[in-house]
Amino acid sequence: MNKNILGSITGIMAIAFCTSSTEAHFGTIIPSDDIISQHDDTTLKLEAKFIHPLELHYMEMDKPKQFGVQINGKKQDLLNSLQAAKGKSPDQEKDYTFWQAEYKVKRPGDYTFYMEPVPYWEAAEDLFIVHYTKVCINSLGLEQGWDEPVGLETEIVPLTRPYGLWTGNLFTGQILLDGKPAPNAEVEIEYLNESKQNISIITPPASPYVTQVVKADINGVFSYAMPKAGWWGFSALSEASWKLEHEGREKGVEIGAVYWVMTRDMR
Amino acid sequence: MKHRILIILATALAVLCLSSTAMAHKVNIFAYSENGVVYAEGYFPDGRPVVEGDIEVLDSKGQKLLSGKTNKEGFFSFQTLVNDDLTIVINASMGHRAQFILRKNELE
Repeated sequence: MNKNILGSITGIMAIAFCTSSTEAHFGTIIPSDDIISQHDDTTLKLEAKFIHPLELHYMEMDKPKQFGVQINGKKQDLLNSLQAAKGKSPDQEKDYTFWQAEYKVKRPGDYTFYMEPVPYWEAAEDLFIVHYTKVCINSLGLEQGWDEPVGLETEIVPLTRPYGLWTGNLFTGQILLDGKPAPNAEVEIEYLNESKQNISIITPPASPYVTQVVKADINGVFSYAMPKAGWWGFSALSEASWKLEHEGREKGVEIGAVYWVMTRDMR
Repeated sequence: MKHRILIILATALAVLCLSSTAMAHKVNIFAYSENGVVYAEGYFPDGRPVVEGDIEVLDSKGQKLLSGKTNKEGFFSFQTLVNDDLTIVINASMGHRAQFILRKNELE
């Protein structure tokens, strides 16, 4: 057991050293369940974080600007349900803030949770980062709404139904920027190593394995086949048409459209 | 040999046909209670209502309390009669059946 832990920690540290230059930031919203069936607990627990999903690293996250859920085309503000919490990876020394919420699912249908964080200043990249993040859960077999955009500045709209996915399934989505397809956008993909479905921490053999990269086609459509059970994050990055000030200077803003889906092993 | 291939093909076809109808016709039922009335809804995954689905309401011992049919919108409602867990069963055409258990602590 001790050996296992030691192995994991060494692995994680190895990841940290090898890949610090390539790590990708991801906004996340991870719900406690992706599908609510009749005898399930109908109270979802949601966690909103700003992390490096494969490397398990947390970053400090301020209270989001927007946090809500879209059901049947209608939006409900859930910002006040957010509670601050602390977390870190095994090899991080201090704790970082993330956010938790509980939400009671009352009716059948698709529930798309969305978040707009406040801009995060990333000194290493000399820019601000804003990741518009979404995740969709299904309740009681009514599969309606998952393919509707929420209306964010940039967002991924799934073309694959985003729940009930097996490991190995192809996830296809379309990137929208200001409501229009974003041609040739780059999509970064990472596995959430802290997924509760994950039976063994993944140690990438080389830094390109940390973040998978695919490019969207001319219609902003991309696909990726997910090789492991757990949560997968898709992040399509664009440069905002607007700037923000940092210490008296105008800085660029990276806006990300992030979408999370969960896979289960077929057995 | 030829025979075997034919059988495999036929089976594959049969499975295909069966599974596609099962998916497209998967019946769901949901119920909630408000001000002494239980509202039940029959629906397919894509949101279409189950029209004229047979409804049966059973108590916790499996005794039938009442029955009826869903309307054009897939709705069926009734006054809450007993303070008991209710099983609401919907039977759509072709033997597609689903049920929803409304616990007595959810009766309002």
